[in-house]
Amino acid sequence: MIGHQLALLKREIWEHRSIYVTPAAIAVVVSLLTLTGQVTVSTFGEAVDMAIVGASNVDEEHRRVALLVMFTGVTTIFSLGAWIVMVFYSLDSLYAERKDKSILFWRSLPITDAETVISKLITALVVIPLAFLAAVIVTHLVILVLTSVWVEMQGGDAGHLLWGSAPFFDVWAAFLIIAIAYPLWIAPLVGWFLFVSAFTKRSPLLMASLPLLIAPMLEKMIVGSTFFWDAIFIRTFRPPLTSIDLEVFFDEDRAQELIEQNISLLSAIDLGRFVTSPSFWGGLIVCGLMTAAAIYVRRYRDES
Amino acid sequence: MSSLVTARNVSKHFGDVRAVDDVSFDIEKGKIMGLIGPNGAGKTTLLKAVLGLTDCDGELSVLGLDPFRQRKQLMQNISFIADVAVLPRWINVAKLLDFMEATHPNFSRSRAEELLRETKVRKDAKVRELSKGMITQLHLSIIMAIDARLLVLDEPTLGLDIIFRKEFYSNLLNDYFDEERTILVTTHQVEEIENLLTDIMFINEGRILLDAPMDSLADNYVEVATSGENSVKARGLRPIAENEMFGKSIFLFEGISREHLEGLGEMRTPAVADLFVAKVKGARK
Repeated sequence: MIGHQLALLKREIWEHRSIYVTPAAIAVVVSLLTLTGQVTVSTFGEAVDMAIVGASNVDEEHRRVALLVMFTGVTTIFSLGAWIVMVFYSLDSLYAERKDKSILFWRSLPITDAETVISKLITALVVIPLAFLAAVIVTHLVILVLTSVWVEMQGGDAGHLLWGSAPFFDVWAAFLIIAIAYPLWIAPLVGWFLFVSAFTKRSPLLMASLPLLIAPMLEKMIVGSTFFWDAIFIRTFRPPLTSIDLEVFFDEDRAQELIEQNISLLSAIDLGRFVTSPSFWGGLIVCGLMTAAAIYVRRYRDES
Repeated sequence: MSSLVTARNVSKHFGDVRAVDDVSFDIEKGKIMGLIGPNGAGKTTLLKAVLGLTDCDGELSVLGLDPFRQRKQLMQNISFIADVAVLPRWINVAKLLDFMEATHPNFSRSRAEELLRETKVRKDAKVRELSKGMITQLHLSIIMAIDARLLVLDEPTLGLDIIFRKEFYSNLLNDYFDEERTILVTTHQVEEIENLLTDIMFINEGRILLDAPMDSLADNYVEVATSGENSVKARGLRPIAENEMFGKSIFLFEGISREHLEGLGEMRTPAVADLFVAKVKGARK
């Protein structure tokens, strides 16, 4: 059972190379941008010297928060990429095998439809986020190394300015939790995509997104309520995962307050609130139903 | 009795269309059963029911299992080629072997590699880079490396040139088939496989028109080429089919002994294709 599942997960990665190519490509682009940024900035010799002197003079807390903001900013780019890969992967996962008829080969093997569909769900919810997280960590390190070289070339002390202040554990532990929890939060959406991917005869993206747009509109027009709108759009971007709003890290004044409170990303995460949220469990149930529907369709639909 | 497949009153309806209509048959161990029928006859639907890919009404047992409900167990002992194009195009040969090894308890990687060495299929080649013939060789090598009790082939050589087709069947017979295995095969090109079948089944419009061992065909069916007066006599014996060829009338008789037809003209056992046409036309009348 577990052996099967590992083989199936491996197969997903073989087939959908975007799972690792996309995060690797983003990592390369972000690193190159860092490098070009540093080269460009270096032309402002005096200002650079001032900045390094300034950075050396502020206390460690300030430097920590500055790095934390940088780390978070980099991660945001990756999370956007992860979203896109996750959506396209789950829409393609049960559609491509029907389109190229390889489903007939896969189904000639002693593997159940449930095992196959679950491997696709695990790929979307676990493998993709973790692949992106790995790329995030590597990128953080690459940026720090690049910046260290640059700082040293400018006559600064990178060990003191960067490595001594970098909140590695805090940031990575926090993002690991987010990379595990957030996909589970949006699991109902992924379940919906898998289901559409299992039944649609053409353009899964259109077939998946139209109902998501039309249902809230109809609801608003006919009943006047906004349940679907809230469930699809508002809920998705508001996981009850933090005790504070992460946006504060981008707001200078409020960030200052946080610095004084010695706040960390990790301490901002509130897992208790997350796992006791009825909306979280409700979402998992919806995901379960959608996955069951996808298994049912793959099993019962005649593909001839 | 060592019946591998048992069907009793099996039906499958799509709305008003009866794709398979109250069909009963047995396939015994060690047989090579040819399932012959025109497009839309219900062949593929019947095979899908046997493979557990579709549900059906009636009683169907394959290797003692309910194919639809116990598909996973069934697939450990069955292998099938549904069409030449179904191997995923993105995979390469080595990965395909890895995957088979990890998921199929009866797959022998060394056997597959041995079979592949006799072909031009390279291990690092992707399926999409291979020609149609090579894809079939690859697929067949994989299938033959599975120690399966029942092999189901649905139009396995469709779209292949004659050399690959001949090779396909000779590999199957020489390197795979033995008394422990059973093969169920459908094809349009019946003349290519009639020599290797042990049993034959005709299906048309969801119904079985004929289900017989090949060696019984010579006893039950005879074709007579007659001319002139003999043609009138022959017609009186109620042939199941009549054709004109080179100025002669060719009659096909069912259940009439050869002694009875002695003297009417040249006799021979009909080709399976001719018998099939006669049966289909006869059923329409």
